[in-house]
Amino acid sequence: MNIAVTGEGIICAIGADKASVLSSLRQQQTGIGEMRYLRSSHHELPVGEVKFSNEEMAAQLNLPADPLMSRTALMGMLAVRQALLEAQVNNALVNRESLRVFLISGTTVAGMDITERYFSEIQQSDEHLACLKTHNAGADTQVIADYFGLFREYTTISTACSSAANALILGANLLKAGEADIVVAGGTEALSVFHLNGFNSLMILDQQQCRPFDDTRAGLNLGEGAAFVVLESAETARQRGVEPHAWLSGYGNACDAFHQTASSENGEGAYLAMTEALTMAGLSAQDIQYVNAHGTGTPNNDQSESAALKRVFGDQIPLVSSTKSFTGHTTSASGSIEAVICILALQHQFVPANLGWQHPMADGIIPTLGEDHTHLQNVLCNAFGFGGNDSSIVFTADKSNHNSPLSIVHSPLSTLAEVEITSEDQLDKIRDYVKPLEARRMGKLMKASLLSSLKALKEAGIETPDAIITGTALGCWENSEALLRQIEEEGEVMLKPTYFMQSTHNTISSNIAIRTHCHGYNVTYTQEGDSFAWALRDAKLLLQSGKVKTVLVGCHEETTPLYRSLMERLGICDLPAIHSKAVVLSCGE
Amino acid sequence: MEELILELKQEIIKALNLEDMTPDEIETDAPLFGEGLGLDSIDALELIVLLEKKYGIKLANPAEGKAIFKDVATIADYVSKNRKK
Repeated sequence: MNIAVTGEGIICAIGADKASVLSSLRQQQTGIGEMRYLRSSHHELPVGEVKFSNEEMAAQLNLPADPLMSRTALMGMLAVRQALLEAQVNNALVNRESLRVFLISGTTVAGMDITERYFSEIQQSDEHLACLKTHNAGADTQVIADYFGLFREYTTISTACSSAANALILGANLLKAGEADIVVAGGTEALSVFHLNGFNSLMILDQQQCRPFDDTRAGLNLGEGAAFVVLESAETARQRGVEPHAWLSGYGNACDAFHQTASSENGEGAYLAMTEALTMAGLSAQDIQYVNAHGTGTPNNDQSESAALKRVFGDQIPLVSSTKSFTGHTTSASGSIEAVICILALQHQFVPANLGWQHPMADGIIPTLGEDHTHLQNVLCNAFGFGGNDSSIVFTADKSNHNSPLSIVHSPLSTLAEVEITSEDQLDKIRDYVKPLEARRMGKLMKASLLSSLKALKEAGIETPDAIITGTALGCWENSEALLRQIEEEGEVMLKPTYFMQSTHNTISSNIAIRTHCHGYNVTYTQEGDSFAWALRDAKLLLQSGKVKTVLVGCHEETTPLYRSLMERLGICDLPAIHSKAVVLSCGE
Repeated sequence: MEELILELKQEIIKALNLEDMTPDEIETDAPLFGEGLGLDSIDALELIVLLEKKYGIKLANPAEGKAIFKDVATIADYVSKNRKK
């Protein structure tokens, strides 16, 4: 099935809609500059902010100013609204045709901008305690979905900086499997003091404008924004009388399975994701005219991505640029923001520049400084995340004859093993599987999830599963809380990097992938009480389509004494300190 | 210097969660990274935080850490020459 892209919405540092983003790209004007909206003391760090206050965005959405409404949700609503408008999808159409329209959002930090503002206060007073209800990424997606009132289902993917790319991949799979008629997929992420300081603790923020792929590169500039695309089958688009803007012709998701925050030297995960995407699109490397690289500007990413690009394209590397030099690194939203930039490039037949590049790096690719007019038929868009969650997407200008269906065979799934951990006392058993030196940094949830997973795999007699899919509503809260506490007590100083690297939801899945050497499909769902159900649903899709033989599916949650006391004040009681379940599934014989 | 070396070992154990180790088990001249104790890039960042907090030494570039964090003796030498507190 050919997946048509029929509408796009975008808001980021270089513009609040497609037209203004296009104009900035064409005129080579970066949106990175001094901080205006984020309440951080790190003014020495340039950022790529959306040039609106929360109140201004709420007004544009005809919403009352609400101190508990996250910037992530506000930007998400603005981008989704544009995408729906462009694709001519509205409530009247959806009701008349009984269309099953899904919203899939990629986000990680989500409501942290609000939580961090009230973290001290809510420990004493009830006034803003309800911010915890919209803290979770899944809750933000619900806020966005509720605003429009036309979505049949919605979910959230949280794989750090590849979240939005994976949202597009899930969207395409749901369409191919016939589970949805139209999918609005993308991502949204606001800047927060929390992750600005977190990235700072990893010492990968440049105090100057970022220079991806330059020999003098010294890190990334954080950005923010949201972008969503409307996906549907060629048939649905034809019936509705809308003209596709581009085609989502291939995609790949792989795991580097190397390190929690660093990419491998040979870019294994990136290489696997790109080759999978090309294979699905029925293309060879020479068919790609432009690559929108992940290109963060950190020494590690650009070295690793260069190596991967050389493995895929040999000595015939197409035009490559990282548009993070315009937008900053918009983390969870980068996959969809750059996807929309790729679609703009296809629609207007130009290639955006890699701003700031001057000096070739040793063994690095040479990025393009932009092409005003060029012929583009196929472009590749890379999005890589912490923990090696690497994804690549191919967009094509014209409908292809190549077909990459997802043929679902409804054979029953079988559970090969299931292990559940419900008590902290059980966690010492991790030492039966992992050396003390390796386990020493892991928080409670990291130990529990790894222990349940390794036990389940052992029971199933499997060393390396084909895919790892995790569901978690709250993720590694223990570490997030420790980081919030440190900011509260010490201010925006050099924070503990160990806390930050374990604060993203996908740390769980990628930790398991590293231990089991699993380079296959790796995704994390975070949709409140439905997180595990979505993980299972995706596992079923993969297994019944024959793409994989075994999947490790997990559901992992933890709480802290502080979190439980706050939630009790909100009337939510009896939350477990730890709950971890790992299931090994297979299908058919 | 002996005192500083012992203090550094205790601080390293705390900062890097080397729960099971005692200062005696960290050899003063043995490599901390790679083949030796087996620390990684996150540990290097933790050591940078440690130098800043405990001794007021700021390293602007993580690459500088490589030479300084070779072993405990090298760190002690660097700290004694550069400490601000």
